[in-house]
Amino acid sequence: MNGYGSSSSSSSGSSSSQPNPEVLMDQLKNQLAQAYAEEFLETVRGKCFEKCISKPGSSLSGSESSCVSRCVERYIEATGIISKALFSQQR
Amino acid sequence: MVNEMVAKLTSSCWDKCITGTPGSKFINSEQTCLSNCAQRYLDMSMLIMKQFQSML
Repeated sequence: MNGYGSSSSSSSGSSSSQPNPEVLMDQLKNQLAQAYAEEFLETVRGKCFEKCISKPGSSLSGSESSCVSRCVERYIEATGIISKALFSQQR
Repeated sequence: MVNEMVAKLTSSCWDKCITGTPGSKFINSEQTCLSNCAQRYLDMSMLIMKQFQSML
């Protein structure tokens, strides 16, 4: 129609009334990642509270703090071990 | 999805395998237990599938 000569495909971002599927997809992925992160955090909180805070005092002791710190590291490591074991299944 | 399975399995296997206070690294038996845990879960999963299929 105009003189630009480009093939007319509906270009992204050209219309503000149509939601861009790519943008939507990205938003969805972000939200999913965030949900997983929150769930992971909640799990770590639960596990480390179980392991490290056995007798709650009037403040967190040094040993409780270091325990929590190690616990977080170990839990992340455990996640890696499980992932590897699941996905390097050679049968 | 896959991520969810890893998350759930890690949670269960942690409970089964890390019985004491977390150390600055895993001892061998803990590492082995975690790895075994995931693999045995898969074995179990297959068993269950087979059993269901034989019921049909």
